[in-house]
Amino acid sequence: MMAAMSTGGGEPGSQAESRTSRSPQAMLERRYARLGLLLIAPSIVVFSAVIIYPLLAAIYLSLFELYTPTLEGGFVGLSNYRELLARGEFWVSLRNTLVWTAGTLSLQIVFGIGMALMLHQNVWFRSLARSLILFPYFVSTVVAVLVWRWLFNDLYGILNHLLVEARLIDMPIDYLGAMPNAMISIILVGAWKYFPFVVIAVLARLQTIPDVLYEAARIDGAGPIARFFDVTLPQLREVLLVIVLLRAIWDFKEFDLIFLLTGGGPVISTQTLSLLVYKEAFALNQMGMGAAYGVVMMAIMLVFMIFYIRQARKGDSS
Amino acid sequence: MAGVEFSRVRKEFGGFTAIEALDLRIEEGEFVSLLGPSGCGKTTTLRMLAGLEFPTAGEIRIGERVVNDVPPGQRDIAMVFQSYALYPHMTVRRNMEYPLRKRGLPAAERQASVLMAAEMLQLTELLDRKPRQLSGGQQQRVALGRALVRDPQVFLFDEPLSNLDAKLRGHMRAELVELHARLGRTMVYVTHDQLEAMTMSDRIAIILAGELQQFAPPQEVYRAPANRFVAGFIGMPSMNLVDGRLAHGSGSWQFMAPGIALPVPALAETAVAGEACLGVRPEHVHIGAGELQGRVQLVEQTGHENIVVLAVAGGIRLTCRTPASMIPRMGDTVDFRIDSERVHVFAPGDTGPRLNLPA
Amino acid sequence: MMRRILFNLSVWSAVLIVAFPLFWMVVTSLKPQVELWARPPALLPLEPTLEHYLTLLRDTSFLVYFRNSVLLSTATTLLVIGVAALGAYSLVRFRYRGRESLAMLVLFTYLLPSVILILPLYLMMVKLGLANTLVSLVLAYTTFALPYALWLLRSFMAGIPEDLESAALVDGATRLGAFRDVILPQLLPGIISTALFTFILSWNEYLFALVLVNSDATRPLTTGVMNMLISSFNIEWSMLMAASVMMSLPLIIAFSLLQKYLTRGFGAGAVKG
Repeated sequence: MMAAMSTGGGEPGSQAESRTSRSPQAMLERRYARLGLLLIAPSIVVFSAVIIYPLLAAIYLSLFELYTPTLEGGFVGLSNYRELLARGEFWVSLRNTLVWTAGTLSLQIVFGIGMALMLHQNVWFRSLARSLILFPYFVSTVVAVLVWRWLFNDLYGILNHLLVEARLIDMPIDYLGAMPNAMISIILVGAWKYFPFVVIAVLARLQTIPDVLYEAARIDGAGPIARFFDVTLPQLREVLLVIVLLRAIWDFKEFDLIFLLTGGGPVISTQTLSLLVYKEAFALNQMGMGAAYGVVMMAIMLVFMIFYIRQARKGDSS
Repeated sequence: MAGVEFSRVRKEFGGFTAIEALDLRIEEGEFVSLLGPSGCGKTTTLRMLAGLEFPTAGEIRIGERVVNDVPPGQRDIAMVFQSYALYPHMTVRRNMEYPLRKRGLPAAERQASVLMAAEMLQLTELLDRKPRQLSGGQQQRVALGRALVRDPQVFLFDEPLSNLDAKLRGHMRAELVELHARLGRTMVYVTHDQLEAMTMSDRIAIILAGELQQFAPPQEVYRAPANRFVAGFIGMPSMNLVDGRLAHGSGSWQFMAPGIALPVPALAETAVAGEACLGVRPEHVHIGAGELQGRVQLVEQTGHENIVVLAVAGGIRLTCRTPASMIPRMGDTVDFRIDSERVHVFAPGDTGPRLNLPA
Repeated sequence: MMRRILFNLSVWSAVLIVAFPLFWMVVTSLKPQVELWARPPALLPLEPTLEHYLTLLRDTSFLVYFRNSVLLSTATTLLVIGVAALGAYSLVRFRYRGRESLAMLVLFTYLLPSVILILPLYLMMVKLGLANTLVSLVLAYTTFALPYALWLLRSFMAGIPEDLESAALVDGATRLGAFRDVILPQLLPGIISTALFTFILSWNEYLFALVLVNSDATRPLTTGVMNMLISSFNIEWSMLMAASVMMSLPLIIAFSLLQKYLTRGFGAGAVKG
């Protein structure tokens, strides 16, 4: 068989070609690279159409004054930005966003780690417990909001009923219509909805901590609390950093939960930047102004995003 | 039948040069090992031969054909991977059939080839199992079987035995040698284990940092290492390498280091007086009588012999072999001599070339 | 022993507190209207009834919303998985310039806020004449689903030993042949996880549906059910709870059947990055 190949010179062209062409890349390698680009092409097309283009368009829009229903208006340069920075509403919304993010994020982390540590132990019906814990995370925000609004109902809600029964309060509480109740409520519901993410992520990491570390600590005389601080926490550090960054980004841009629970109210006491963008563009019909709010919001988020991407890249290369 | 030839092959990864300019000609039917420490470029070399990596410059031939731009599947090669790379979702039969399927062979022929290879490797009973149901050794055989069924011109092995336990490894070595004898095909075998290279190969190509250090039959590599690196790399326990000076006086050469002065015969013409390195195999250091003295620092008894480490003046340590019956006491000072007919002299530097003619 | 029991009890009470809202959702959906207003409220329905479910299915557009959601989520999932599987293969196993930057771009877009993209997307859909169609939602959903699926599949793909593909190439397969014969079967669990997550994300999406679609014929469940709350004069909590239960049904099914895949996907993509 080889005789045929060598005398027939399997591929007569290839020999001469590779002698003459001293290209830095082999033909085969180039062919593979082309195939690789071909395979990623659909992704790139979709990305460009629905993400990159809209992103640039949003920045472009922010330089116009546009009436949403008719799309009439004109170029105004940076005046949208000047105006928004001068408006009190922007600063209130930014503060609300930060309060909401910090509040719900810290509760998510604390509850998440606590629950993960508990579920890491040998608990009765552990996998059932895990599924129950996970459920709030996977359930639609619409469902979560409906349920909580029913629980929060001032007259017939079970929450008020229980609290009155327990004599913790005399009068039913208005959870969503007054301040600071509304902010506290959305923070709590946010924590309830999103802490399972932390639970699962931490649990996954806990399972990979080698037992010998705990045995070594035990031999060195560390009690359960010392073991947590000296073994568990250092091992969790990296994953916690990633979780905090990721959740901070997601909480910062949260729309559904707040919009559906309070709509930003009372007045604008729980209105975050996401809600402001939506309101400006679709309720007040100021598309250009909405875009400007959006761009500013993204600029703020960019700090976290770059931080996270750098962290992810580090994890990627190791 | 086909040999393999690398000419001026260069490989860069990004800015890093993995292989400088490799020239290597493997004859038809030869069993050649590519041996070197990890990261030396031996696996890259093999993968370029397989078509899984692409040379930055130079030519690779299989037989008469330049294969630089030939896809792996059309190079008429087979490869056994360190991880075995068995397809986990296919049975043993399907695994071994896969290359034949890809060549469009009819079912009957495929069956016949698979059965033959399975018989040869005692896999007949296992044909309908999935890889994860097999032991490491069995998986190894299947990987071998998958290479065998297609009767390629060249077999490539990438550290195929390194995941097996020591006993099985010895067994498989013998089996591969037998296989090579039976098939007579060209085989290229990458390993970092000198024992494998020494016992199986017709010739060994020793590679360091992407450069070929020596390409010779095992005995020659052992008896006449081409440079200091090869000398230290081949042999267990490794060769004693002592830094010192070469001096020329009254028609003969002399090697001198603290506590050691030794006449060295038959130096090459390129030798000059000055810094040099002396290489002595442990079996050429003889304890008992002689003009040199050393203190016994360590005695390791392996059963059929003892490995003794002697501390000589100036912090020099020499390892030597003694018969099992001769067990020096630790701490004692003993006389010894070096068989000066069998020493090696190298120029200074990690890869300093050999200066004396082989004994 | 005593400590163990106490520990278990405290863990389980925490779990039950977390799960209580969902329990209450099911209970409320089964209560006859009168029991809703009872003081004190009964922990379990005294006379369980399915009347709210029947009303929901008979007298509202719930089934239309449900169908829309199924169509929408299935189409999004199929589109995204198809595109992302090839893309992930390319990102992990091919070498070309810009590959690393592309991977980081994917991660970046995965974090982008939808609320910004929605403005130009809305204008785009209006211009293309796609406003108020399910197609516009499928396209809009790829903005979050594609980066997500690509990122997840990329990490699954990276877990498949490269040697397998090399072996297939040496055995005579082409790159795409190796993908089909060797990689795809290995990737299947990852594809199932990713598909499940993509489906759930699409199923639960609210904002795009709110902006891009405003007729009952094309509304998915999220905005449809929310609309029932807003538009009704008298809020019928039992029916809304029934709707919530029905809306979560696919999740419950996915959960009980495929929990393994869910947790796997979670570990692989979301956190590890």
